[in-house]
Amino acid sequence: MIFENTKCECGHQNPVGTVLCESCGKPLENTESSEPLEMRYDGAARRSQKANPSLLDKVWNFFSSVKIAVYLIFFTLLASSLGTIFPQESTFLNMDPSTFYKAEYGTLGEIYYKLGLSHTYESWWFILLLFMIGTSLVICSLDRVLPLYKALSKQQIRKHLSFINRQRAGLIQTMPFSEEDGEAQEWVNKLGKQLRKQRFRVHTEGAALLAEKNRFSRWGPYILHIGLIIFLLAVVMRSIPGWHMDKHMGFLEGVPVKIPDTSYYLKNEQFTVDYYKPEEMSEEFREKNRSVAKLYETQAVLYRCTDRCDDDDPVLEEVHRQKIEVNKPLDYKGLLAYQFDFQETPTILSMDPKVRNLKTGEAFGPIHLNMNNPAQSYDAGPYHLELKGYFKDFGMDDKGQPITQSNSPNAPAFIFQVTGPDLPAQGSVFMYFPRQIDQQNFRQDAINGELAKTLAISVDSMDDVQIAAYTSYLNIRMDRAMPFIWVGSAIGMIGLVMTFYWQHRRIWLRLDGRELSLGAHTNKNWYGLRREIATSLTKIGMPIEQKALDKGGTNG
Amino acid sequence: MSFIDKISSASSSYLLVAFLLYCLAFILFVVSITGKRMGGKSPEAVSRRFGSAGFIMTVVGFAAHLLFFFTRWYASGHIPTSNMYEFMTFLGMMIILAFIIVYLIYRLPVLGVFALPVGFIVLAYASVFPSEMQPLIPALQSYWLKIHVTTAAAGEAFFGVGFAAGLMHLARTIRYKGDNPSPVWERRAFEWTIVFILLIVAFIGSVFSFNAAGYKATFVKEVTVSDTAGQPQVLKQDETYVLPPIVQPSGSQMVEMKPFLGMTKPLFEAPSWMEGKNAGRQLNTVIWSVIFGALLYGILRLLARKPLGAVLNPAVQGLDPEDLDEVGYRAIAIGYPIFTLGALIFAMIWAHEAWGRFWGWDPKEVWAFITWLFYAVYLHLRLSRGWQGKKSSWLSVIGFIVVMFTLIGVNLLIAGLHSYAGV
Repeated sequence: MIFENTKCECGHQNPVGTVLCESCGKPLENTESSEPLEMRYDGAARRSQKANPSLLDKVWNFFSSVKIAVYLIFFTLLASSLGTIFPQESTFLNMDPSTFYKAEYGTLGEIYYKLGLSHTYESWWFILLLFMIGTSLVICSLDRVLPLYKALSKQQIRKHLSFINRQRAGLIQTMPFSEEDGEAQEWVNKLGKQLRKQRFRVHTEGAALLAEKNRFSRWGPYILHIGLIIFLLAVVMRSIPGWHMDKHMGFLEGVPVKIPDTSYYLKNEQFTVDYYKPEEMSEEFREKNRSVAKLYETQAVLYRCTDRCDDDDPVLEEVHRQKIEVNKPLDYKGLLAYQFDFQETPTILSMDPKVRNLKTGEAFGPIHLNMNNPAQSYDAGPYHLELKGYFKDFGMDDKGQPITQSNSPNAPAFIFQVTGPDLPAQGSVFMYFPRQIDQQNFRQDAINGELAKTLAISVDSMDDVQIAAYTSYLNIRMDRAMPFIWVGSAIGMIGLVMTFYWQHRRIWLRLDGRELSLGAHTNKNWYGLRREIATSLTKIGMPIEQKALDKGGTNG
Repeated sequence: MSFIDKISSASSSYLLVAFLLYCLAFILFVVSITGKRMGGKSPEAVSRRFGSAGFIMTVVGFAAHLLFFFTRWYASGHIPTSNMYEFMTFLGMMIILAFIIVYLIYRLPVLGVFALPVGFIVLAYASVFPSEMQPLIPALQSYWLKIHVTTAAAGEAFFGVGFAAGLMHLARTIRYKGDNPSPVWERRAFEWTIVFILLIVAFIGSVFSFNAAGYKATFVKEVTVSDTAGQPQVLKQDETYVLPPIVQPSGSQMVEMKPFLGMTKPLFEAPSWMEGKNAGRQLNTVIWSVIFGALLYGILRLLARKPLGAVLNPAVQGLDPEDLDEVGYRAIAIGYPIFTLGALIFAMIWAHEAWGRFWGWDPKEVWAFITWLFYAVYLHLRLSRGWQGKKSSWLSVIGFIVVMFTLIGVNLLIAGLHSYAGV
């Protein structure tokens, strides 16, 4: 092993990996060269530059490399673009990916699916890439911010001559006075005063000067990285059970529907779809004869269940009432409901028919029939009806037995036991289909036989029928990680602004005899730095072009 | 004619005025960098005078552009950033604004020679899309339409100026003569960049002239779609061409076609896998753009008798390459936070409000993310790995191509939630 002497001539002992002496700034590598210095992190040693790396150190070193970080970002970029070639599986609500891609996009689609690119953003390798970027963000930042902080918080005013002269911006000039002259001190003070006017913090030590501004801008990248880490953690937190819910549900007008895994019920009282009228369109657009939707609105009521929650008739208490529009979701204590879609689904909700004696022509009632949750018994004048059976969506199975085909009242059928005038004491069975079309299809009169001639149940007019015209589809969501997402974004944004809208600038100056050496450094925007120095020198009577301060080179 | 209709027709004339003023400003900037002695004045004085005149013309054009923007806003009742035409005119306006800002920092007339064309090519491109005012659909009825779209466009506009500066830097530093010319790949790549820009110019030019001539051809094809209940339905879909159809949509029937140069029917049919909406028309447009672009390049090349890069190179020889490099970097550094805010953060807030999720890997979102990652690579390479000069300029050129793909390519080629913004 080669013994590395890291002691500087000024007497300071530097850690291994130091490029510029921590104290006086003398270059410890390439000492003969006159090229501009590598000024990154002010030449301080980073943890990743340890002499004998252990396994942990090696992992640290891997992730601390900006080169690796750039590769990671680049691969993520490529992978992301692959995912946009065909629509992702998540774009569709109901679809079988194993056949869809082949049917829709042919062989290419099949290859795309087989490679797993149809769910790029959920695949393990994509998540691994994001995870590695997160690790790199943490390690890169820690590896650099600590040495940089140390270096910037203990700066010497009088720097080594070769440190000053090997900056990318600066000048060497013979002055009409010497270091020891009072005139020299006066000149340095005058420059200091001018630089203060330009909002520099100025420190002097004899005829040496250090001016610095906007150091905080150097912390910008690290604040940005902290913001990104919080953001990534928030994304991970969404996989905690109960932190994230995402469901698409249909809400028929007038029927409260339970939101799964919660004690909430949501009712769509009325859905409205509205289109632009011709006079609301521009002349050119009117000619195209296209209809454009203006409004989709669900009048929603949110209930909380207080009792009998698992039964058919839960006890509901209204907690919130709101119009849901696109861009105006329902928001109640973190439960969100978004307008997603709608469908015209004319469905009978309930009706108020009368019981009629066909012999006398008398009508009794009305009785209230609820299609979703009918009552057990009804009284209409002298008649009494007991509900013996109810089918929401009437049909016959293979054996000819009546069944209900779905849980929606598409073809409701009631079987009543009726007692009253001219009827047997034990009552007669009467079957009632509220929809006229079902009465014909299932031949209600034939089923009821003789009874159909003496008894009828019917409404006076359609006013006595409550119909739901629309089903509104809402996207029900819950996302407890959102506050962290926004906090992470805000912190990241602050970091970005600090980084790019301010520049850290430093100017060093010393007189050796009559020779003035000025060097300046910034981590970006050299043009602005040179112009700032040129302005200050010109103002104190030493006119100079900004270009004359450019020593070339790309380091820094 | 109602008051609103009057305003809306005046509005389009303001845009035309702005466009013409930008062209004039461009010519003034070109004169300013040629370094000629005029009327007994030194080249420096001439350059300064024409440079300021060009800048003033740009500012006046920008004012006319603003007038267009606000009158259209007034007439349509919503901010004019709701479809492709409105967005592209807004992006053009932001590119000019970004140019004005960067010009005020660096005062380089040559920037006008490269940045103004980026601005007015984008403006001319806008004219390809239907320009009528459309009613605002529910998804766009949000104040985030104002905030998200405008900030995103402002950020992208700075990338556009960075692109212009990158091009300038490459034009200046790629060596065509002497003992030490640049590698062949670099000269070729730059030449291809010029070809690519000429293709876009040819595309706009051809759509513009055929539109003006009233050319039209229509095809119809039957497509099977499933309705909301999942039942297949056969629909007739029209495709209208403004350029003579060299290629017709896959599986379509011709409805009408004006003959063009003796051509009365399409030469061939688009391959069957190109089934997307308007895929046939887009392929046809690409073919015409390549034909006209190649023609345009061929003519210029014949006139110059050397690579066009070699023509540009001496014209910008008087410029300092490091200043150009820095201008490009600064434009991107100014644009990056604005882009992050507009195209990602505001986009996430709006997406959370409108769609119920802040991020859904919609193609437009993914490409905004890709753009952001790309410029992150650019900044890391530049600030941490010392990629300056030509390498950095190439990245800024590629970066803006990614931006344009995000804005246009995604809408035309990939369907997604943002597709209402397209045509």
